[in-house]
Amino acid sequence: MAIPHPREIQTAVVDWLDERYPFTKAVDEALYQRVPNFANAFYYCFGGMVFILVVFQLLTGILLALYYVPDATGNPAPAYTSVNFIQNNVYLGWLIRGVHFWGANLLIIMVLLHMARVYWTGSYRAPRELNWIVGVTMLLLILAFSLTGYLLPWDTKAYFATQVTIKIAGLAPPQQLGTFIKELLQGGPAVGPPTLQRFFTIHVFLLPAVIVLLMYVHFRFIRAHGISEPM
Amino acid sequence: MSDKRLLKEGPGAATAETEVPVIEVDSHGHTLEPDYKRLPIGPDHILYPVVVGLALFPILMGDAGHHLADDMPEDETHPFFPDHFWPYPIIAVVMLVAVGLLAAFVQKNLQLETSADPRTVTIPRPDWYFLFLFQLLKLGPELFMALVIPPVVVGALLLFPFIDAIAGPRFAKRLHWKTWPVPGRNIYTGTIFVIGLAIVALLTLWALAGPQFCVPWFINSPVCGA
Repeated sequence: MAIPHPREIQTAVVDWLDERYPFTKAVDEALYQRVPNFANAFYYCFGGMVFILVVFQLLTGILLALYYVPDATGNPAPAYTSVNFIQNNVYLGWLIRGVHFWGANLLIIMVLLHMARVYWTGSYRAPRELNWIVGVTMLLLILAFSLTGYLLPWDTKAYFATQVTIKIAGLAPPQQLGTFIKELLQGGPAVGPPTLQRFFTIHVFLLPAVIVLLMYVHFRFIRAHGISEPM
Repeated sequence: MSDKRLLKEGPGAATAETEVPVIEVDSHGHTLEPDYKRLPIGPDHILYPVVVGLALFPILMGDAGHHLADDMPEDETHPFFPDHFWPYPIIAVVMLVAVGLLAAFVQKNLQLETSADPRTVTIPRPDWYFLFLFQLLKLGPELFMALVIPPVVVGALLLFPFIDAIAGPRFAKRLHWKTWPVPGRNIYTGTIFVIGLAIVALLTLWALAGPQFCVPWFINSPVCGA
């Protein structure tokens, strides 16, 4: 029996897929659909840039999590020493941490620019109101990422900045609610190891899951409505 | 099942004919790039898996609705791939290089301070994007500045499309305007945007000016930078 040429295998696979789903038609529709020329303006790229940066953040975050230890007991705490280890000992650790840090800063700038473009060109108008709400929610999530990520190195600056953040959140009236929020975030009467554990969990598990879900919703809306016309 | 649909293979064997249902995708009458203009990468081309990989993202994002481009003349539109797609890989590389260079040459912000110790006394300063909020807290009663103004602003931002759609046309009618333009061409919503940005920028600069830069203020006077 002759060994089939890779091209024949590929064609057979595509044919097999086509018999079960209009595969090539879906690929053609996805790639060769036409886009209005006005969408070539540079400011229509901001949303795509945000997506690219979120992908960078997820990838570098996974790499950092390989070495990071979310433990704040002792002095210096393992969390602090692990970040120090990433920065100074891990091969290209300084670069991965630097890309994660600067990527986060650039991400906030790009999200704000994207939102400004959407506002300025009226792209939030019907039928895209829900997508605007999803976008604003994602902005809040990105700020929550920054807040929770700030504590993770467990250095003096991070510790006291988080203390201020939690204090502000704890001001919520009535007093019982404020105390509840404060203790929920802190995991105890003061900022300590349980706080780091909670912030780490939120930063690494909860927020990425929610933002990926919202990004999916955001893109589905864009795909359904198409690129908005500048009004 | 009728006898015609039974296949007999070998003695005594009777198996049902396998019929695979084909699912048709509703194309919504999209205008696609004509075949002769497309890249010559068909299902038998070695690069077809790459093309499929690129198409997977829009496919996963669901079927596209009937878009504006479907009703536009051909010279006012262009195909998504490669014309519209090509800048994005370049942008990705440029951004990666930019953050890589920042990581390599701007190490100051990345350096760790000493390990957290609750016994030390440090006046914290947040990252640049929270500085305006940090400064805002100093301008009035903490409770009001922290838990009233920011939630009101965020709530207004979330509901802005509805506020704009409901209040905008009424306001336009009062001004004897025919329509309520988008903020880019609207003196009111455009000005709100610019003033909002100016407030954020001023508060950030005020905070950045440092604790020695103090300005007389109505409440909590004087208010200093962070």
